[in-house]
Formats: sequence, structure tokens, C-alpha cells
Amino acid sequence: MVDKNNQTSYDVLVIGGGIAGEESALNLAYSGFKVLIVEKDLSVGGKMIHLSKVFPTLDCSACITTPKVSETARHPNITIYTYSEVKNITKLSEQNFSVTLVKKPTYVIESACTGCQECEEKCPIIVNDQYQWDLVARKAVYIPFSIASPRVAAIDIENCILCGLCEKVCPADAIDFTQEIEEIPINVKSVIIATGFNLFDPTVIDRYGFGKYKNVVTSMQMERQLVPTRPYNSVLRPKDGKMPDNIAYVLCTGSRDETVGNPICSQVCCMYSVKQAQLIMGALPMADVTIYYLHIRAFGKGFEEFYQQSLSMGVEAIKGKVGKITEKENGNLIVRYEDIREGKVKEAEHDLVVLSVGILSNPDVKAMFNGNSIELDDYNFVKQVDELINPAKTSIDGVFVAGTASGPMDIPDSILSAGAASSETASYIRKHQVESSK
Amino acid sequence: MKAEKGKTINYMKEKRTVPEALKEKRKEDAKIKKAILKSLESGEKTIPQISEEINLPTEIVTYHIYSLRKFYEVETGEIDDMDEYFFFKLKKNK
Repeated sequence: MVDKNNQTSYDVLVIGGGIAGEESALNLAYSGFKVLIVEKDLSVGGKMIHLSKVFPTLDCSACITTPKVSETARHPNITIYTYSEVKNITKLSEQNFSVTLVKKPTYVIESACTGCQECEEKCPIIVNDQYQWDLVARKAVYIPFSIASPRVAAIDIENCILCGLCEKVCPADAIDFTQEIEEIPINVKSVIIATGFNLFDPTVIDRYGFGKYKNVVTSMQMERQLVPTRPYNSVLRPKDGKMPDNIAYVLCTGSRDETVGNPICSQVCCMYSVKQAQLIMGALPMADVTIYYLHIRAFGKGFEEFYQQSLSMGVEAIKGKVGKITEKENGNLIVRYEDIREGKVKEAEHDLVVLSVGILSNPDVKAMFNGNSIELDDYNFVKQVDELINPAKTSIDGVFVAGTASGPMDIPDSILSAGAASSETASYIRKHQVESSK
Repeated sequence: MKAEKGKTINYMKEKRTVPEALKEKRKEDAKIKKAILKSLESGEKTIPQISEEINLPTEIVTYHIYSLRKFYEVETGEIDDMDEYFFFKLKKNK
């Protein structure tokens, strides 16, 4: 938590500390508004901070995010609460929302923790590391990830055996098991919803074998394998640590699929798969990469050229719908697919399969509002009630939406959307200030 | 209950009990860690070699050995002659 003034009134509440939330907050903070960011995770940075590179420029994602994170954390007009949630958002009158801020205990005094990781070293408990998408473990007391902001420890009390070693070894006396959930009432003039998206859980599609076959991984697990802070020392198979040389991508996993309840295109899977294919060919020059696709949707600036570049590098693209994946005894995978061009069912062997999982709405937002219910669209994203003229406007006057909370989009579009949300928020506050001064 | 500074764990112990399943998991994880580290005492090994020696599935060894690498207890060495598996060794000067 970065609470600069212990204040309980702010101009704007930004829900979500990902790239859209930070961009909105910074725009407003530089315009002189007091902004409160509430992030449910232990660190701000959202999903972008965990990515390897961005498409189609292949710029380092963390290198773009971390300066933005630092700028947000240091801005005098921005207060950040991490590991916190909001509830009971109620519009009392124009420019007057009451909100309950729920601060969850980390059992670590943030202002005291130096991030030295002595506690982590001594902790005897290992748990799946959610920031490495379960490919390796973390400790029950842990720094979320190396570039986390704030970079302080937290205790996962559900997995703690209460041995007390962390408290004994902490040189800063930062461990405090007496922390409790705090509920803090606050008032704001306006709200920006920047709650981002959820990734599709591929265990829903049983025939793809995710969770059952260790060499079937998600695109986020592959993304982690491609970053400098990766779980392994190279791109490897989780089943046996073997370096793969024949990797398949299954596009539209959980997107454009009525059978899993998500009929819409996720907009980013084609391009992030093409990006990962190029990065894999850089990391494993001898590897073959095959992309199974329904349609390649390369609609943005430079996207088609980026896709063509991957083909010229040797990526094979097969227009085919994957029906089933089965595992051989050696861990290799048999991909059974319909070759759409030839109209035949075929099988191919790969030693690693990446499921390019789609983007789903974040359902948390609905429960945050009390009284004035926020309207959602047909796919449970926040409804843009005036999409063409005021794209950030929601069903509640004074509440705006930024980034993927309103629908699937890529990073540049999220930042543009955040710009629109901050601009509309500023107009809303100024407009009512002018009216009330008349 | 007022907690004494540096001993706030006692406050939590009054409030919570540790589930038996968690205690069992800790024992199991500690056993696997010990077996992997013992296996590496006799020299560098790949994941399939460790797996065969300690009689555990390769995916469990992969998960644990890369976790041990993250916690600076082992380190990766060269890749084998077939360019398939990396060797692992005990970390010196932890």
C-alpha cells in the first residue's frame, strides 16, 4: 500500500492497477486530480508485467511496464492500495460515490519490509507459484516476483504451517501475524473500472488434455518460459525437462467457441501466438513450430507483415480445427485435426502443445456495485452504453471503463481506451464543478 | 490477546490450526527434496536419470528441481550429447 496522506476522499477511484488503470491514473494525476488505485493482487502491473515481448514490435514488455509502474507509485497525486478490493460502491449524488475499501492482511508490514528474502529462504513450505503459472514453486512467505511493486513479502496464510521461522529471521521485524482485514470507508467523485480480463481455463475442454498431459501448456505458461525471469533455463517440456523440437499452437482455445460459452474473438491470440513462435525460433533455432488456426486475424498496423515474417522464418501455418490431443508413452502428443483446405482428418506428432487461450470477462466487477447496478454486455464485459461517441461511458453516470474490462483488446488499444476514460472522467468532474459554481 | 513484538506467531496460533493435509504435504515435499539433493551428491544428473534413481515420475522431478534451482539449491550445467536434457548439480557457495 502506498497511502501518501491517509486521506479518505479522492477525485477518482481507479479499480485495477494494470496498464489501463495506471495509464488512466497517471493522465488524471498529471491534470491535478487526486487518484486512488485499488489493486486486488500483491503488485500493480497487471498481466502486462508478466509478458515477454509485445507484438508486432517485439519490444520488451516489462521494460515498458516497469517505468510506468514506478511513475505511478511515485506520483504525489496517486495513492495505491494493493492486495485490496472495493465493495458497496454507491452513487449518493452527482460526483459523490461512497465506497468500502477492503484491505486484506499480508502479515508483513509494508513500510518495514526491505525485500531481502531472508524469510523466503527459511520458509519450509512450497506452493505452486501463480506468477509462473504453476510451472515451479514459491514459498508460503514470498516476494510475488522480482519486479513487483511494491517489492515486499506477503504470507500465504492458507498454506502456512505457523512455524514462525519467518518472524524469527526477519532482520527488519516486518512480520506481523496480528494483521486483520481492514474496511475503510472512502468517498470519490468518479470511478474508472479497469479490472482487466480473465484467461480461459482450458481444463474445460477435456479433449485437449490440459492438466492431464503435462506437455500441453497454456500460452501464458509459454510466455513465462520466454521471459528473462523464466521458471526454467530454456524453453522446456514440463513433463521431463526435455528441450522440445516440434511445437504446436492450437489457436482459438476458448474463443469463437459456442460450446464453451465464448463465441467472440479474443483479438490477441493470433498475434501473441505468432510472436511466441518467432521467439521460440530464436530460443530454439532447430525447433519446428506449427500453428493450427481457423483464420489468422492480423487486423492491426503491421500485424499481417508480422505474420508473414513468421512464415518466412519457417513457422508452418495449417488451417485446421484441432479435435483431440492424446499422449504417447514418451510424452509426445498426437494432435488430431481437420485439415480444412484438404477436407481431411489428419494426425500429427508434436513434443509440446501450446493452447492459445482466449480472453474472458472479469466477473468481479458486478459485485462491487451496490444499489446502482453496473450493466454488462452479452459477454459479461462492462457495457459501453455510448460506444461510438463516449466509449468509456457506462450505465452509471460518473463511472467509466478502461481497457479490457470493456472487451478483448491488445495493449495499444487498452492504453488508448485508458486515455479516453481519463479524458471523459476529467470532463465529468470539471463539468459538474462548473455547474455547481454557477 | 496482545501479541508480543517478534512473537506475533503465537497470536495466529490461537486463531488458526494447521490442516493435517498441509502437514502431510510438507513432509512429502521435504522427502522429495532430500532425495533429489542426495541423488546429486554423486554427481551431475539429468531429470530422467534422477527420476530413475529415486523412482519418481519425471514431471515431479522437473517441478521440484526447477523449484530448487529457483531457491538457489541446485544449478543447471551443460546439455547432454543429444541436446535434449540439461544436467543439474548441487549449488556451491549458496
